[in-house]
Amino acid sequence: MERKVKISPLSGKEIATMAEYGYHNFAILKKILKIIGIITVILVAIILYLSIIIIFIYSVNSSGSTTEFKSFTFKWYFKITEHRMLFKSIINTFVVSITATLISTFLGTLIAIGVFNSNLKRRKRIMLLNNIPLLNADIVTGISLMLIFSLLLKIFPYIFGFPTLLIAHVYFTLPYVILNVLPKLSDIDPNLMDAALDLGVKPRKALFKVILPAIRNGVLSGMLMAFTMSFDDFVISYFTTGNGFDNLSIWIYGSIGRKDLTPAVYAFNSIVIFGAMLILLFANIISIKNQKRKIK
Amino acid sequence: MNNRFHKMAIPYLIWLYALALIPTIFMFFLIFFDMEGLDFDEIKITLKNFAQLTESSTLIALWNSIKYAFLSTIICIILGYITAYFLYKSHFKNKFLILTILILPMWSNLLLRTQALASIMEPHNIITSLLHLNPNTQEGLAGKGIAVVIGLVFTYLPFMILPIYTALEKIEPMLEEASLDLGTTEFKTFFRVTLPLSFKGIVTGSVMVFLPCMSGFAIPEILGKGNIVMIGNIIEQFFKNMNYNIGSLLAIVILLLILVSIALVNKFDKEGETIL
Repeated sequence: MERKVKISPLSGKEIATMAEYGYHNFAILKKILKIIGIITVILVAIILYLSIIIIFIYSVNSSGSTTEFKSFTFKWYFKITEHRMLFKSIINTFVVSITATLISTFLGTLIAIGVFNSNLKRRKRIMLLNNIPLLNADIVTGISLMLIFSLLLKIFPYIFGFPTLLIAHVYFTLPYVILNVLPKLSDIDPNLMDAALDLGVKPRKALFKVILPAIRNGVLSGMLMAFTMSFDDFVISYFTTGNGFDNLSIWIYGSIGRKDLTPAVYAFNSIVIFGAMLILLFANIISIKNQKRKIK
Repeated sequence: MNNRFHKMAIPYLIWLYALALIPTIFMFFLIFFDMEGLDFDEIKITLKNFAQLTESSTLIALWNSIKYAFLSTIICIILGYITAYFLYKSHFKNKFLILTILILPMWSNLLLRTQALASIMEPHNIITSLLHLNPNTQEGLAGKGIAVVIGLVFTYLPFMILPIYTALEKIEPMLEEASLDLGTTEFKTFFRVTLPLSFKGIVTGSVMVFLPCMSGFAIPEILGKGNIVMIGNIIEQFFKNMNYNIGSLLAIVILLLILVSIALVNKFDKEGETIL
């Protein structure tokens, strides 16, 4: 390759180019990469929200068909309670996920405190086992629980249904609570508890008055995660329920199989998304306000 | 802290043994037997369950699972890394809002989202109706492998973005400045500093995407329209037909793949900081 030579007008000698000094002009490449980045982010936003928008369109489509848009309507929103099976499965979903979330938040917080105070050996063993429900494939978790519940069938003949579903949901939501609470426990000043005990507070009362307020944020985020997981679960519920006790996911799966999905379910889903959006935005505004107050 | 509290962890240990370890051991036992459902009266010890592993239907399903899960993971890594890096580099530091945007779609029912995707993959769909487009006569994507990959990416992409973003956020910004001060270009800094330090996020994200992609059965069933069979569908069929022995055998195959993945995560992310 022929090298461009620049001659200095002063000395008449060759000047090294910028590239020879090791400088590369990346301005164009940078611009291209930035454009690729923006396109990707837009694409990801579409990926995340396309199906939600489609679901919303179905929920306001008066023809009830998924191929043809007729006119705008809110009638499906009033038909949620009319469709008996759909409404029953919605109630079941709420009952199971709220109960499971409350149980695992309460027990998970106590367990996390227990794990935190255990010796290293037991702590390691529990944390290893705690990862099993978290990382195991849903289908394997579902099958395992179903097998265990089937073994209990001889003692409790009517166990399948609400009890098994609840146990299963508590089983896979507990690790989320524990993992959210544990780091907050290590942030507490260890002297805090001793101070409370020195001041004559009983240990159980100190737990509620001292430790619990300090780990509040961890408990709340664990609770939110547990509810999210429980509310949307399909595979584990599918294997562990029985006796016609369906949650929303199982009902939807059955309806898709029978090809008679009512548009009311799209309406319900849109309400959930809209509600979640409001709650999360509200929480966001509160957290921003709190940060500002801290800075002041 | 008070040492009496440690007793509160003991029941959980028993709970985990009962619900996590014992069923796994029980599944191992089931592999070697032949019976109707869980009827122990007519139980026979046999090795014929293992023949199922060499059946072409199983092998095709296993190959499909690995192929589609791998493809989806690669696509998720590319899209997820660019997005996470963009968010990290933008001066938009409100992590809570980013989390909100990523998590919000998960509140929508997984099956409903998949069904919505399946319906717009048909040649006649709601979008062509809304935009008054002439539906082209060519057949839609539904029922093809690419439909399943699209469904998997659409569903599990947030699970890739979150760990990578967490890993990127934990990088000390001074490291990048130091690298730039020492005369490397921004590209070299990215490949020598940022990328290696965020690698554990990629590993965690890949496992969190690959495992559910490989073992799920609802997405291939809804988007594959019965043409695409994955290992999850076969396991579900065996359990539905009360053949717990072969079902357990295939579940154990998945379990082995999971163990490998967990070992991988442990190797790259010892403290497990990118998992949650």
